[in-house]
Amino acid sequence: MSTPVVFDAATRVYPGSTTPAVDSLDLEVRAGEFLVLVGPSGCGKSTSLRMLAGLEDVTSGAIRIGERDVTHLRPKDRDIAMVFQSYALYPHLTVGENMGFALKIAGLSKAEITARVTDAAKVLDLEPYLDRKPKALSGGQRQRVAMGRAIVREPQVFLMDEPLSNLDAKLRVSTRTQIAALQRRLGITTVYVTHDQVEAMTMGDRVAVLKDGILQQVAAPLELYDKPANAFVAGFIGSPAMNLGTFRVEDGAAVIGEARVPLPRTATAALTESEVVLGFRPEALEMVAGYAPDAFAVEVLVAEELGSEAFLYGTLEGASLRDPQLVAKVAPRSVPPKGSRVHFRILPDRMHVFSPATGEALPTA
Amino acid sequence: MTTVISAGPGHEPGPARRGRVRRLLDRHWYAWAMVLPTVLVLGVLVLYPLFQGIYQSFTDLNETNNRDLICTQTLGGGEDCVPNPDRAQFVGLDNYVDLLTGERGHFWLLLVNTVVWTGACVFFHYTIGLGLAVLLNRTFRGRSLYRVLLIVPWAVPAFVSAFAWKFLFNPRFGLINSLLSNVGIDPVDWFNHRWTSMFAAIVTNVWLGVPFMMVAILGGLQSIPADLYEAAEMDGATPWQRFRHVTLPGLRPVSSTVILLGTIWTFNMFPIIFFVTGGEPAGETEILVTGAFRAAFEGLRNYSLAATYGVLILSMLVVYAAMYRRVLRSKGEVW
Repeated sequence: MSTPVVFDAATRVYPGSTTPAVDSLDLEVRAGEFLVLVGPSGCGKSTSLRMLAGLEDVTSGAIRIGERDVTHLRPKDRDIAMVFQSYALYPHLTVGENMGFALKIAGLSKAEITARVTDAAKVLDLEPYLDRKPKALSGGQRQRVAMGRAIVREPQVFLMDEPLSNLDAKLRVSTRTQIAALQRRLGITTVYVTHDQVEAMTMGDRVAVLKDGILQQVAAPLELYDKPANAFVAGFIGSPAMNLGTFRVEDGAAVIGEARVPLPRTATAALTESEVVLGFRPEALEMVAGYAPDAFAVEVLVAEELGSEAFLYGTLEGASLRDPQLVAKVAPRSVPPKGSRVHFRILPDRMHVFSPATGEALPTA
Repeated sequence: MTTVISAGPGHEPGPARRGRVRRLLDRHWYAWAMVLPTVLVLGVLVLYPLFQGIYQSFTDLNETNNRDLICTQTLGGGEDCVPNPDRAQFVGLDNYVDLLTGERGHFWLLLVNTVVWTGACVFFHYTIGLGLAVLLNRTFRGRSLYRVLLIVPWAVPAFVSAFAWKFLFNPRFGLINSLLSNVGIDPVDWFNHRWTSMFAAIVTNVWLGVPFMMVAILGGLQSIPADLYEAAEMDGATPWQRFRHVTLPGLRPVSSTVILLGTIWTFNMFPIIFFVTGGEPAGETEILVTGAFRAAFEGLRNYSLAATYGVLILSMLVVYAAMYRRVLRSKGEVW
């Protein structure tokens, strides 16, 4: 029923530019899967989506939807539907006409169009608004109309380009779950672009992380979180972000201030430099009372007490991180006061080790 | 009722209204002072002539009876003035009746000419302007040069273009007739027939009016979000369908404004008719404004008849604008 999508070394070089916006992207979206493309702005995620949509030429490589090579097909021949960031609703048409526009263009009968639009409106709770113009709707309703316009097409693939970024924070969270649930129910292969890693983690079956036009890693959300392929993915995925820093290596241990943090033997074996990039998530830190050889001192700057959890922000003594502050998750309701000095150690099996030269993850087990 | 609010120390409590006016003046005198120059200018330049014109259209004012006093120089060097026994009289609706029944002037001929002239000019202004704007809205080499060249007619004073075109249409020496002869068509005596003469005037005015439309529509085109075109493309719309369902509706706010403006301007476009056709043949291509001009400044100067033309033109345009607005509103356009 549903259809896989394959990017086969797909490349896009904008005219007048020498560096590709999307560089030889190899990516398979499985049939019925919800795949999220995520990355910082300018990473090529939107360009990749637009290449799949047919709105952007493919400089080299190929794109296949199912068995069909769609690389050079026009958008309308690809059997896809797209939800735009701005929703791109036709302002002079009513909600119903907006949703039925593609069907009208395709030459379906009036009765058929009405039936399909009504069905979609039912799914999206838009029935009372079918005769309104888009400007008479709230942001959330407009977003649903844009979804409805895609659904009525019954396409092989849904494309969504940051469809939630124009909603307020609260609505974004609820719409997020609605879209994910709708996609699972319809079972239509979906490619979803966002810059928000929380959206990526919560919605996607799998998440593809891009940076500078190059695919960094594709994996299920938790796998990305637990086993980032490189330091970029490690720092991008997760909120608050992972602590990353470059440290000197002495006798198989990283030097963090006064602490000597032993590195896994497999990692040191793969290491060619005398330095190492260490990553540790806020929850991979354990507060220790008093002295321990692998514990480093942190001066607390801010304590964020959220009730169910608490985060400490502080500066590392005698060493520096990529971010100016270290983040640690601590037990709530007994948070050390601002200005105090505490010691942390990294839980050994929760440590990420990266090569300082390539940024690639080094084996830790 | 007398006011209980005292207007201030040393003032006698007046009627409530006077107190309010005074308070408004006291509190907002600065605002009134700021508004005053505009009110004065508008009053002197717009309202006074407007009402004087309306008043004159109800009199028989002309060159011979426009003096209220007749003054004679006396021997001592002074002046002796007596009221003019023949001065302009209030004649009620006589001017209107005369004009509308064709007793004086050729109102209906001029009206038909004006409607044809306005309709044709605005139609071609808009369609050609739209076409050029769509062409210029894409990126290609030398786009800015084309834009500048296409705006040139606008920069040329209207009477200069009028004379240039009149010469092009000159039956004996004009470029147009010599082109026609070259392709084997008989030369046309352009200003000797009502509709060929009108055609020449319309061509001239189209040439003059297209740049404005083009620039306005180009602005409108650039305000249409690009995603709408992409969405329409995804929806499978052909280029023509995208033009019909995205471009035209997107241009509606701009179009409605420029068409209304264009209509009013063309309706009152004096120099082209006056210089290109000059009403030839035999006044058959006059429009209402040139008719008003001729009534006022040719032969016996008939100011009251000219004023009547003016009032009729104004009322027609007011009615047109009101209807136009109502139609737009019924289509859900906020305007």
